[in-house]
Amino acid sequence: MNQELSSGFTIAANAPIAVALAISALLFVIGLVGFLCRRNMIIMFLCTELMFQGAALAMIAFARLRMDVSGQVFVIFILTVAAAEAALALALVVLLYRKRETLSADAWSDLGES
Amino acid sequence: MVPTIFYAACAIAAAGLALLLMQSGSKFRMGATILGLAGIAWILVIVVQTIPTPASEIGPLGLMILCAFVSVASAVRVITHHRPVFCALYFVLVVVSGAAIYVLLSAEFVAFSLVIVYAGAILITYLFVLMLAQQSPADIGSADAVDYDRIAREPAGAVIAGFVVIAVLGGSVFSVSEQKAESILDQNRAIRQGWGDLSMMPKLLLEQARRTDSTVTAVVARTDGQMIAAQTDHSAIISVQRGCQKTPTDLTLAPSLLPDNTSRVGMALVTRFPVSLELAGIILLMAMFGAVVLARKQTDIADDDRRALAGLGKVMDGNQSSQGKANR
Repeated sequence: MNQELSSGFTIAANAPIAVALAISALLFVIGLVGFLCRRNMIIMFLCTELMFQGAALAMIAFARLRMDVSGQVFVIFILTVAAAEAALALALVVLLYRKRETLSADAWSDLGES
Repeated sequence: MVPTIFYAACAIAAAGLALLLMQSGSKFRMGATILGLAGIAWILVIVVQTIPTPASEIGPLGLMILCAFVSVASAVRVITHHRPVFCALYFVLVVVSGAAIYVLLSAEFVAFSLVIVYAGAILITYLFVLMLAQQSPADIGSADAVDYDRIAREPAGAVIAGFVVIAVLGGSVFSVSEQKAESILDQNRAIRQGWGDLSMMPKLLLEQARRTDSTVTAVVARTDGQMIAAQTDHSAIISVQRGCQKTPTDLTLAPSLLPDNTSRVGMALVTRFPVSLELAGIILLMAMFGAVVLARKQTDIADDDRRALAGLGKVMDGNQSSQGKANR
């Protein structure tokens, strides 16, 4: 029976992992809501970092569930991508700020209305 | 039945968040906070109730729920606070409580690298850019925040979209949560994998064998070809050569000599994901190039002069050149 259990896909094996998965879903959704709601470009990118946090936490929780370090390795790659994204996105935001003297995303809404 | 209650809890949390985002009066704000916290608490209670918890896991579970409240509440503050600098500082709190959750999930190395990389590096960059791009208080007047930070864009639609996502995610988890594994099973598997990882690290293996018995000179393969034979009592048996004797003898390693989280992550990085590791380096290099190229755009004020030197006319339209002058 043990063999059968260990080979099958199991989810939410114990409560701490389930709570961690719930937190990861909440963090992801809060980041999503913030990205849709906020109008400050820097805060919008901060909200994408929140979504990264949610995804990374889910990775860690599943790594703990499967007792495999691959999930933790993937979180290191997520950190890499987040760092690269922060560097590029912030450079872009500074560039946009120099053009329009404001951080509001609405200042660029004419891009979609041609 | 459980999904219905779960959806109700989601709706309450969503209503609280939407009210917080709509920026009403201060007394309204208190009620919205309580509503949102109650919704989140209800979601967590449902999640915990669904899965039976062994007594040994009550302690970590309590800490985990504490961290859950800290991280979710400060995440909500990140998206509702008017001042961008405070948003970034609340994000640091999210990262720190997230790192605490990582430690509770026995991912120590990643927890500390998260604090170093996120709270130490990425968030400092964010703060720098925020302060670089922030308008001076004189421009804004008496208001404490500019309009685009104070007024949310369609909070109701965004919150509905977000909590539909969470309801679908949660519902799918509930539909498969009948399958359960015992945590003792996971424990055995983790220890077997730990010994397996150690057998791929010959130097550490020799060191651990010497720590058990200082006369060991070499670790050799066992008769079945494996380096390590994991036992059911979590210890492991290896074959070693002692002193000048030729025939290998058995040595038992205690469970305390298992490789720790850091060495296991490092081992997985270089044995299972070497190409990904190289690609991560390339991504970072390219991001650095990109950031440098984008930041160098600062010199575009001199574009007109450069074009004049090359014998070309000015191309700037009125709007852009006036912006450029304002920049100077």
